[in-house]
This record gives sequence, structure tokens and C-alpha cells, in this order.
Amino acid sequence: MKTRYNLFVVVTLLALILSACGGGAPATQIATDAPSAGGENAVLKIGWLGEPDTLNPAYAFLTEAYSIFDLVYSPLVTEDSSGEYVGALAKEWSTAEDGLTWTFTLKDGLKWHNGEALTADQVAWAINAIMLDPDGWAALSGYVGGFSEVTAPDEKTVQIVTEYPIANMEYRLSFLYAVYPPDFESFTTPEDLQNFTNDKPIGTGRFKMNTFDKDTGVIVLDANKDYMDGAPFIDQVIYQKFDSSDAMIQALKVGDIDLLYEVPASAFETVKGFEGVTALAFESRSFDELIINSVSDDNDPAPTGNPALKDPAVRLALETAINRQDIIDIVWQGLGSPADTIVPPTLGGGFWHNPNIKTPEFSIEKANQILEDAGYVLGADGVREKGDLRLEFRLQFDADSSNYPRIADLLADWYNQIGVKATPEAVNADTLIAATTGVGDYDLVIWGWGADPDPDFILSIMLTDQFVLGGWSDAGYHNPEYDQLYLDQQTAVNKEERQQIIYKMQEMVYNDRPYIVLYYNKYLQAYRSDRFTNFIESSLGLDTSASLGQVKPVP
Amino acid sequence: MARRDYLLGKFGIALLTLLFVLLLDFVLFRVLPGDPIRAVIGRNVRISAEVQQSLREQFGLDKPVFPDQFVDTLGQWAQGNLGVSWSQRKPVSEILISKLWNTLLLIGLGQLLSIILGSILGLLAGWKRKTPFDVGALMFSLIAWATPTFWLGIILLVAGSTWFGLPTGGIVSPENVGKPLHTVIPDLAHHLILPTLTFTILYLGEYMLIMRSSILEVLSEDYILTARAKGMSHFQVLTRHGLRNAMLPMVTIVALNLGFTVSGAIYIETVFSYDGLGNLVQTALVKQDYPLLQGAFLLLAVSVIIANVLADFLYTYLDPRVKAN
Repeated sequence: MKTRYNLFVVVTLLALILSACGGGAPATQIATDAPSAGGENAVLKIGWLGEPDTLNPAYAFLTEAYSIFDLVYSPLVTEDSSGEYVGALAKEWSTAEDGLTWTFTLKDGLKWHNGEALTADQVAWAINAIMLDPDGWAALSGYVGGFSEVTAPDEKTVQIVTEYPIANMEYRLSFLYAVYPPDFESFTTPEDLQNFTNDKPIGTGRFKMNTFDKDTGVIVLDANKDYMDGAPFIDQVIYQKFDSSDAMIQALKVGDIDLLYEVPASAFETVKGFEGVTALAFESRSFDELIINSVSDDNDPAPTGNPALKDPAVRLALETAINRQDIIDIVWQGLGSPADTIVPPTLGGGFWHNPNIKTPEFSIEKANQILEDAGYVLGADGVREKGDLRLEFRLQFDADSSNYPRIADLLADWYNQIGVKATPEAVNADTLIAATTGVGDYDLVIWGWGADPDPDFILSIMLTDQFVLGGWSDAGYHNPEYDQLYLDQQTAVNKEERQQIIYKMQEMVYNDRPYIVLYYNKYLQAYRSDRFTNFIESSLGLDTSASLGQVKPVP
Repeated sequence: MARRDYLLGKFGIALLTLLFVLLLDFVLFRVLPGDPIRAVIGRNVRISAEVQQSLREQFGLDKPVFPDQFVDTLGQWAQGNLGVSWSQRKPVSEILISKLWNTLLLIGLGQLLSIILGSILGLLAGWKRKTPFDVGALMFSLIAWATPTFWLGIILLVAGSTWFGLPTGGIVSPENVGKPLHTVIPDLAHHLILPTLTFTILYLGEYMLIMRSSILEVLSEDYILTARAKGMSHFQVLTRHGLRNAMLPMVTIVALNLGFTVSGAIYIETVFSYDGLGNLVQTALVKQDYPLLQGAFLLLAVSVIIANVLADFLYTYLDPRVKAN
């Protein structure tokens, strides 16, 4: 009897010892001469809840991957903190008279992380690779649409010829990284290319890849002392992945990490109170809106929206009865700004946002008056009617959001006071997509968008031809004049001219109200200001290449 | 002969269970709402409908779930191939094995400590029945057993990192990532303290309660009285006659727990950002990575089934009644 009990213990112990020794040694290798954390080395540790899906730019979709590309790779030009495009690999650039030929002159003495010199040929090769294999370079092929030829006439010059003038050329180029050709030359099929993990990317950026451990999500980057614009002041940047935001916040508090990639809104006040920590709320590029069914009756299948929503007076009343500041204060603890147009003020440093649009002041009384004047009479049950029209709407929202239910309750309450019955209903995102894209089976929906740095994408969500399955339009806005202006802005190489077109487009959308844009979100970050200083504070975040290039340890 | 039949019967039931689990495994994740493609591309809005479609084809999601996807999956499983993870683009089996060791380390340590401490506490409490020690131990165990895993984890994390400078997450420090674990044992141990403590406290209560009630039952038996009458000391009675007989229910619960704790580690691993199976399951669920989820759940189910068979097997040695029957 005794021995058998012991056998059990022995087996358990054996399993333990095996597991301790076996340790499933990960495949990645760490350079043995890697500087250790602490000591005289300045190591900036960044905590985040995600990790890059892959470090292969051909196939990377997640924001986290682009944060790393920004540090390791360089494009020809890049966006700076004020929303302007400045040279990265390019020293200067120019456009020919016809707007079709772009000529870039490279900076002097450019070097890859392995010490080899970078040539214009290699930059041209990287862009050509995307054009030649758009299926393989799935994540970036959208940026080379309309490119016809990319060449390197001499060692310092890259020339891009396009089929039509491309207004947002600089924006597109800022994602076309110079990847190291020998790493990418050998793939023959799109699948081969996409299965390449690129765990040790060689670039020309401010930081060199030391380790990317896919298992733990830890990324170690070393300063590139030969960086073209000068070496960074810190020696290492480490990204550490957390699976619980509470643990991550605690890590900042006790100093295990120095920077929070993104602070959850609910924890912002707490983090602000930490000793030695600075918490910042930047304007972001995302917003939430109330979608009003604007689908054309000619659509197939026919929309099921309440026809009363076609009345501009009803739409105006619906907007007048919304207290945007209340939503921000109650639902977002003040972390947001009242919104008006679909182009957030952060795009291009505010250059594209139309400042002349003024939203109506919140007034229940005024909203009642608007509906009264339009002929909607309050019925016995407290809901306004006009002939066959009855102001009773479905108010749906994405069930995954913890904030939308509270917004829906606020809206329903205000609408109740103006004789409009709105019934909140949580719906899962897929059902919501199925009901909105190409179909129009809804009345009102609360939802949100994140805009690109360039306004082109966010403007495209209002195009008539985007109202199809897999398209971006959910409101079903259809306005031929708007569609034409969209095409015009795409080829308006003159920035001021493009701005005027985009102003006009925002005005149209605002006045027709397929969306009532509720608020622009904030982007929240925090860092140990007792340890590091001199970050660039902008809506691009504290951890951009430029910002980490100038950050210094507190002496 | 009797034992062989008994074991064969148990084994047959285990196989049937496994088949049922395989079926459930496939259906379960596909009835969940959500589009895996959107989960893979995340917030990247620039991915065109064409690219999304090509991904869908690559993953076989363009085909109907039944029968095409089901047949494909069964065919793969029959060949012992768990498929390739969509989010990590690596063979599922490779990912699972690398995480399994880490989880076994954590739950192995946690189980060992909670079994030892729980047994001792239960034994003493049962022996010193109705004393303040018994009441105190009982209270502690009930509370520990009822405490939500996630809550206890985060409380210990905050306390441990604030007062004792223990790490807030990970399996080793970032500078040691990628090195074989046996070369960084001090760092590993430092990272294991809090998750192991959480695990130990949570399971200790259960073991203590089982042990206590089991020893109480045994102590009321006639042979204990006989042993005392023979003039054996309290300690001798307890260890030679009490403990051995009281171990029977403990073995059952330990074996069953060994299977279930792999999944029980999900919360602990998430709180402590511990790179193990539980954490993997959580991430795979968020990313709707069907092949990875299926593989992970299969592994969890198999470990529960194996633990059950193991318990049955041990019974044939420990319990003469099973042996005879």
C-alpha cells in the first residue's frame, strides 16, 4: 500500500521536474550581448494589451504591428505630430506639373540595420514588389492603387509615375516601408510570402529588432546608433503584453513599466492620481454617431426604415434633442469632445475638419417646436403623428459595447420628451452589419468609426456605391453630387483646393444628416514622468518613432 | 480478470466521451456569433472586400459549415492533424505543446502545495474537531473555496507588487524572454510566486474540506476504537489507520482536479499574463481562431478524460471493494 501512494507522488514530482527543465524552449534567439535592463542603460518599457499579428508588413493588419513598423522601418515620407508630412528616407520631393510624376531625393549615408548602404534601387524594389503581387501584399496593396511605374533613375533618386493625379500621395507613401529586399525576394506565391513571420526585420528605422517572442508577446528593440537623423537618447524599448488591464495599470503604478500604450477610459482618473505618473488625453481619430436610415426606396431589397425619418425636420429635431456634453460627461466621464462632422479635427492637424459647421444648441423645447411646426401632432399615447407617419423608431446598438446601452437610454429619454418613441435594442455586431450594409433594415443605430490619418477613407463611407454587402456605407446616403466631389478630391493635388472640396462634402453630410455625429473620442496614454521626459505629446501617441527618438531618461 | 473487465469498461466509456467531445468541439464554436475574418483583421479598415474574401477562402469559411467544413475538419483530425492557427499561422499542435509545459508547471506546483497544505489542515481540523482551530480552519477553507479566482488573483497581484516588489505579469522578465527556462530559474520562481499562491489558496479549501469530513468519518469507525484500545498513541492512530483510509476520496478529487485545473488556470493565467494554455484559450476565443480553439478544447477534454481513467485505475489498487467486484 505504502509504495503505491509514493508512486503517485513520484509521478507528480516527475511531471513537475520535467516541466521545469523542458521549458518548451522558444525558437527565438536573444543576442547574448543584449544590454540588460537597469544599470546604466536607459530602457523604456511599454505595456499594452495586444501584440502585433505578424511583423511581416505584407500581411500585418493590427495597429500594434504598425506601431512596431514605425520604429523599425522607414517609408519615404512620414506624418509628423502636427499632421504634416515630412521626409523620412526622402530629403526632398517634388511633383511634376501634370501631377503624375513624383521625384524623391534620398538623404545621404542611409544604412540598413546590418550596416549595408541603402540604395534607391532597393526602395523602388520594395514598392514594386507590392504592385507586382497585390494578393501577397494584402495589407499594403491598397496604397499603390493607381501607381504605374516606380524606378530609380540614379542612386539617390526614386521616381513614381501614376495613372492619374493622386491627392493623398504622401499619406499613402507613409505606409510603404522600405523592406530589406534579400528578406523578401525569394517568395514565389502569395501564401509563401504571407507565411513568412519576419521575426527579425531589417530596416532603417530608429530602433533595431532584438527579439520578438510570439509566445509571450515581448518585443525588445535596441537603439539604432547610426540612425539617419541622429541616435535616440534611450538604449532600449521593450513592449510587454498584459492580458488583464488591471494588472497592466498596477505595473505602471509600481514601475514595472514606464508607459501605457492605451489607458482604459474607466481607469483614467485612477491612473491620473498615481505618484510620478503623467496621464494624457489626446484627441483621437474616432467618433461615435447616430445613424439615421437614409437608404433609397429604389434599393433592392427595399429599406424598412420608418418613412418619417426622410423628413429633414424630424432629423433636425432628433439632433436638437441630443445633449452631447451630457453623453460625454455621463457615459465617458468627460473624456470626449462634442462632434459635428464625419472628419475629426485631428486629421492633418485640423486641416481637413470644416470649422464652420455649428450644431444646434440642445433644447427640448426647440425640438418640440420644430416637430410641431412640421405638423406632427402629439397623440394620446404621447407619440407624435402626422397622417400615416408615426414617430416611433427602433434604436439599435452593438451589444459588445458597454457604453452604447447608456447612450441609448439617454437618447430614448430625451426623445420621449419630444413625443418620439425610441426603443433601445442591443444587437450583436454581425446582425447589425447584416441589417445595415446593402440592406437598410433599421431606423436608428448607434455605432462608431475610426478614421485614417487622411480624410479619404472616412469620406468614402458616404458614397452611393459603398452601400453594398462588404462596402463601408451603413447609412445608405446617396447623393450624386457628393460622389462626384469625392472623385474630385482624390485627384486634387493642390492641398487648398482639396480642402475646399472636403469642406463642402462635410457640409452636405452634416445638413442631410445621414449621421448625427455625437462625440470624438479621446486617446488615453500615461507614462512615468519621474523616469522619462521630453516625449512629443500628440494625437499620434507618445510612442511614435519621432517621440521615442527624443525622449530622455530623467537624470 | 475482474479488474481487466472493469478497466476495459471504463476505457470504452472514455472513448465514447472523447468522440462526443470531438463533435461538440466542432459545433460549439461555430454557433458563436461573430465573423472570424473581422477578428483577424482587427480594426484595420483599409482591408478591401476582395482581400477579406480571399482570407475566407484560405480558411475554408466560404464553404457551408455542414457538411463541407465538418468533413474537412474530421478528415484532418483523423490524420492526427489539428490544423493551422489562423491568428498565429503556426500548426496548432506546436502551439499547444509549447504552452502545455508552462501550464503544467504552474498547476503542478499549485496542486502539490494545495494538496499537502489542505490535507494537513483537514487532518488537524478533523482531529481537533470543534476546537477554535477547527472552526478557524473551516471558515478559512469555505471562504477560500468560494472566492472568485479573478478577484483573488488581482488582490494578490496588487498586494504582492506593492509591498513585496513581486512582478505584475509574465513568466519571466522581458530581458530573459526566449532563454530556456532552466537557465533563468530564480527569475522564473520570482514570477511564479503570486500565481502559485493564488492557485494554492483557491484549491486548498476544497482539499481541506474533503479531508476533514473524510477523517471524521473514519475516526468514528470501530477499528479506530480498537486501535486506541490496543494502546496506540493519537498520532499513530491518525497516521496508520486514519489517514490511509481517509485518502480514498482525496485521490478521487485530486485526479479529477488535475484534469479540470488545466482549464481552471484560464483566470489565473489571464490575471498574471502567464503564457500558458488558459491564456491561449482566452486569446483564441477573442480572435475566434477556430482551429486553435478546437485544438485547445480537445486537449482540455482529453486531460479530463485521462484523469478520470487514471482515478479509476488507482481505485483498483486502493480500494479492495473495486478489486473484488
